[in-house]
Amino acid sequence: MDKPIRMALTKGRLEKDTVGLLEKLGFDCTAVREKGRKLILPVPDANLEVVLAKANDVITYVEHGVCDMGVVGKDTIMEMKGKFFELVDLGFGRCRFALATKKGTDFYSGYGIKTIATKYPNVARSFFEKKGMDTEIIKIEGSVELAPLLELADGIVDIVETGTTLKENGLEVIEDVAPISARLIANTVSLKMRQQEIEELIKKIEENL
Amino acid sequence: MKNYDLITPEGTKDLLFGECMITRRIEKTMMDLFTSYGYSEMITPGLEFFDVFNLNSRYFPQENMYKLTDSKGRLLVMRPDSTMPIARVVATRLRDAMLPLKLCYHQTVYRTEAALKGRSDEIVQAGIELIGSEQKMADLEVISMAAESLKAWGMEFSLEIGHIGIFKELVGRLEATDKEKERIRKLIENKNFPALNDMLDTFGASPVTAALKKLPALFGGEEVFEKAEELIPDDGNIVRLLEELRQIYRSASKLCGGEGNVTVDLGLVNKTDYYTGLIIKGYLQGHGEEVISGGRYDRLISEFGYDVPAIGFAVNINAISKVIEKNGVLPAVPRTDVIVYAEEGCEVAALKAAQELREQGLTVENALFGDIESVREYAKEKKIAKVVVIDGSGEEL
Repeated sequence: MDKPIRMALTKGRLEKDTVGLLEKLGFDCTAVREKGRKLILPVPDANLEVVLAKANDVITYVEHGVCDMGVVGKDTIMEMKGKFFELVDLGFGRCRFALATKKGTDFYSGYGIKTIATKYPNVARSFFEKKGMDTEIIKIEGSVELAPLLELADGIVDIVETGTTLKENGLEVIEDVAPISARLIANTVSLKMRQQEIEELIKKIEENL
Repeated sequence: MKNYDLITPEGTKDLLFGECMITRRIEKTMMDLFTSYGYSEMITPGLEFFDVFNLNSRYFPQENMYKLTDSKGRLLVMRPDSTMPIARVVATRLRDAMLPLKLCYHQTVYRTEAALKGRSDEIVQAGIELIGSEQKMADLEVISMAAESLKAWGMEFSLEIGHIGIFKELVGRLEATDKEKERIRKLIENKNFPALNDMLDTFGASPVTAALKKLPALFGGEEVFEKAEELIPDDGNIVRLLEELRQIYRSASKLCGGEGNVTVDLGLVNKTDYYTGLIIKGYLQGHGEEVISGGRYDRLISEFGYDVPAIGFAVNINAISKVIEKNGVLPAVPRTDVIVYAEEGCEVAALKAAQELREQGLTVENALFGDIESVREYAKEKKIAKVVVIDGSGEEL
């Protein structure tokens, strides 16, 4: 048997959804479910090896080809960019990037440069660049909602799922930036060198979405 | 102020001993191959005017070039590529030379890569440029050289071909702005099926959009051509391009003679402004990016004022040495055979004796210690088999 195909999964919810999907395809994911602290786990009957990593690292490992495939959110892809094939929209992990401000403020009024707080500076920059708007972008690591409340920023660009956190903090979405969902990505060389195996797997996945 | 005197800039590294030997060996293998096909080596400056890389078509994003200014304040770049400088030379000093010109090079290119990504800003490339021939044989010669370049390492490899013309023909028939076309190209390059489908749906259903949607999936072996014929609108031009590519594919498979894998990818649409026809890529098992990249670029040199067709490719020497290092051990650094120690006053005699031994083909070091014990210790540590002492009377082993 050939060496297994390595698939990097974004730890957390995307990992669980992907494991669910693999099980739906009929693969035995016991090792992944009972992983303990292990980070590389076999799915023997699929000739797969699952690697658990943080979202950004999934892209890094796939780009370098040390993992052949990966499951990562569109949010991370938009922020990180990189050279890989983005093959399938897996449909789960759905949410969106949105621009939010304090309720009742007219964000686009006035000529002053707006300050945007975000965990995703590249996403925010390209969103406003397309509008031809010069903005000041401040990177925030934790709860971005704080920045407009503390009056550090005029608005935030962040991931919104239900909008409850925004609402409870007196913020509201004023514009959608982009929809987000989990993507199956592949290294550009792996897809070519192991075309048959990867295509078979993708076909099965697409049939079961 | 912080001093950076103990480290090298990000994206660069020192190569020592075995690492050096691998790199040099690969360079030599490549250059021997190229010159055996009758290609002549050239060296272009490490520094070029920014303008050489800032042509209309802007093949190189300016943010990826190292820039500096000359003493007159003019903008220079550290060469990010060798093909453009060679195109410049061809359009100037070699303008009256007899065609075809067969040129090769091995030199470093510099590109700024994103920090902390494990990428190198300094890449040694060896490559060829075949200028002035549109013959089918020219394409085949280049393919065969690319195949030999991949075969040389005794590793599993894959040689991939494509043709930019097919994409250009298709997208040309779409009622789309240049910006939209560029976005479609990008999505095909990234094989981003979900976004490509969404994007093309906005142009309505037609044979052209259906074919574009499938283009990135059309990769693999011979079967790709049959699939493509079914999908792609029956049209003189595209059918002709496909047939051309199929012939090249078959020839390439024969040239590889069962070694490695020859594949075709109709979704190879990188650098559309640069390439005008055949596209070539080469992969080695165990390396996450292509190690060979090239193709036909019939319009590039005309940007320098000399309209002449050309085709070529570059081999990433660093990538190959990385794979070799990963797969095996570094080559042993050649050992010194003899060390010659001179007693006080016998230095000249010792240097002469050492020289005589070298002439016999041995690697000989002069001992640079004040006493024989240190010499013996050094010889033991460095596994030098023989210590010769010159004391005026004769030799002592």
